[in-house]
Amino acid sequence: MKTIKLIIADDHELFRNGLKELLKKYSDIDVVDCVADGKEFIDVLKNNSELDVVLLDITMPNMDGFEVLNEIKSLNKSLKPIIISMHDEGNYIAKCAKNGAYSYLLKNTDQDELIKIIRIVSGGKKYFSPKISEKMINYIAEQTVSEQILSKKEQEVLELLSKGLTTKEIALKLFVSSRTIETHRANIIKKLEVKNTAELIKKATKINLI
Amino acid sequence: MSLRSLILLIINGLVFLVVVILSITFYNQFSHVIDDRILQQLNSIKTLKKIQIENLIQTEWHNFSENPTSTGFGDSLNISMSKKQFPVSGIYDLTKYHKQNKTSIGLVLVDSNQIKLNVIPYDKIKSILLERTGMGNTGESYLVGDDYNMRSQSRFFPKKTPFSILVKTEGVLNGLSGESGRGIYKDYRGIDVYGVYSAINLSNLKLVILSEIDKSEVKAPLEALKSRLLGLIGIIMLVAIVLSLFLSRIIANPIINMKNSLKIMADGDYTQTNEFVKNSNEIKEMFLALDNLKKSLQGAVNFSNEIGEMNLNALYLPKSNSDLLGKSLIKMRNKLIEFRNNENKHRINTKRQLVDGLENERRRLSRELHDGIGPLLTSLKFYIENNIESKTQQQEMKTIVDNTISEIRLMSNALMPSTLDDFGIGAALTNFIESINKSSSIHIDFEDLTNKNNTKLTKNQEINIFRISQELINNALKHGNPKNIKITLSEFDDFISLFYFDDGNGFNLDTVKLGSGIINMKERVEICKGEIQITSKPGNTTFEIELPIEDHEDH
Repeated sequence: MKTIKLIIADDHELFRNGLKELLKKYSDIDVVDCVADGKEFIDVLKNNSELDVVLLDITMPNMDGFEVLNEIKSLNKSLKPIIISMHDEGNYIAKCAKNGAYSYLLKNTDQDELIKIIRIVSGGKKYFSPKISEKMINYIAEQTVSEQILSKKEQEVLELLSKGLTTKEIALKLFVSSRTIETHRANIIKKLEVKNTAELIKKATKINLI
Repeated sequence: MSLRSLILLIINGLVFLVVVILSITFYNQFSHVIDDRILQQLNSIKTLKKIQIENLIQTEWHNFSENPTSTGFGDSLNISMSKKQFPVSGIYDLTKYHKQNKTSIGLVLVDSNQIKLNVIPYDKIKSILLERTGMGNTGESYLVGDDYNMRSQSRFFPKKTPFSILVKTEGVLNGLSGESGRGIYKDYRGIDVYGVYSAINLSNLKLVILSEIDKSEVKAPLEALKSRLLGLIGIIMLVAIVLSLFLSRIIANPIINMKNSLKIMADGDYTQTNEFVKNSNEIKEMFLALDNLKKSLQGAVNFSNEIGEMNLNALYLPKSNSDLLGKSLIKMRNKLIEFRNNENKHRINTKRQLVDGLENERRRLSRELHDGIGPLLTSLKFYIENNIESKTQQQEMKTIVDNTISEIRLMSNALMPSTLDDFGIGAALTNFIESINKSSSIHIDFEDLTNKNNTKLTKNQEINIFRISQELINNALKHGNPKNIKITLSEFDDFISLFYFDDGNGFNLDTVKLGSGIINMKERVEICKGEIQITSKPGNTTFEIELPIEDHEDH
């Protein structure tokens, strides 16, 4: 059975040692090295092409986890990064996934789960536990990545404008200030390259925005 | 000395001086004229009588020498003297030889040892001298011999023999020495008289004729004039005093009023509006000028008040180019504005530094907890897994460590969520609100319209927005009891708008015990040079917060 060559990148020595100690018990996992920051890790990585998995912390001095992920991507290594972090918010998870992390673990994850994930990832598969996945999906769901000309809010404002509502009425309806609505309207007018509200409605109708 | 008494003194003094000088001059002139007139009149009378007496004697002498009839010596004439006493013919004064000393002017003709003697009748002489026309009550003319005894009857002592009255007066002395003259001197009674005198020298006769009048009689009209003049002076002075009183009132009253007005103004009261009688153009103009002064001072006072209350937008126009007070006040206002602006800037800076320090400290503590203690605890967990034999004990210990880790994570987030630094305000608020939604029955809607990847917000602005939102939500949870909260964060090119709405109880902006909540919010808005608008009524409370975004790339 092929051993999994693993490296730990974390700025806390106690944590590194604890983890290393823990992984020693498993014969299929070989902890090749421990580094204290991102830069040190990249140096090790450049000289050693046989690494399989890295347990990567996000918050580190010199170079943080996000940068390390990007660096790994650009070095085009076969190394599979697993994030092991204290952060449990969806945005951290999503960002790491986006930047090429194979998995995301919280630092207080049980060792069984940890070993399981190391084994899955070393086989080249991405794995996110149900709890982590949920957090990530919740976060992504909130983000409306729109490729349309107008933002979601601007679309709403445009529709209410076309119904003949005044700025104040729209502000009340959308729970924003009047000045916000005015700015939205000004931005819509700019984006659609028209001169005034009447022209705006005409053009919006023509290109089927409303 | 008051103005009124000064005017009174000057006017009355002048009038008095003029009147007195005029009166004295007039009196003196008058008395001089009277003296002159009287003496002239006396002189003409004396001259007339002298001529009459001389004529009488000449005539008698002529008659006697033409027809020398002697009344004979001795008894018939009552003259006791011997014929030998007359060596030559002539006219002699024989009074002292008369037995009764009756005035006797004797005519003596010596012709070949025969001496003829006659006496001019005394009555003839007397009738000439006693003719007193134009002589008043005290005027008289009389003759005095060279022995200083009177020769004609005295008006005042008709019973006395003239020869017994000694007249050794200035007039007689001068007359005997041959002078004719006039003068004021004491007569034989010792009373001041006006007198003229002249000598009569005929043959051996040597007499002085005098015409005199009492000074008191002459001066009587002068005395009357004097008292009349005094009366006139009195009347004129009275009139002058009354007139000057009136005049001084006309002049002094407005000045006194002006003085009182100025006194009140000097005490710093520019609001008095007393009306005064203005009886001349100059005085009217003076009061008009005073009014203008009052108005301008009042304006300056009001302006100073405004400045004193730090109302530095107060306007003031200098009355003229030389309105130094106004100019100084404006300068003071500008200095104060500058000072206040500097102070404001300084205050906001200080506040910003304080808040920054606070936030940095929180961040540090948060990191320390999250990244320092957290990993230590996880290490502990590894240690437990590696070294604790008993599975149940191991499980219990791991649970305790896990709970501690979550607690630390909560604490760290409460201090300063690391999301704020790593993902920005949108993500941080989303996470924060999500955790609130989970732990309470309130529904919070958060709409994040920030530019996620290329936001122009500074870290400090993000922290402040986060703190303000935290405060808003915490306040609502503590006091407002709302069912729904809606928060929209909209980022634009030049500003970011945080809009907060809740349907809770609301509060009265004027009376609400702000605690430090709203004050803190306002301070943070001020630090970011932003604006905040608050409206609140039951069921509808809104906060509109706007912070400007500065385009750092352009500068």
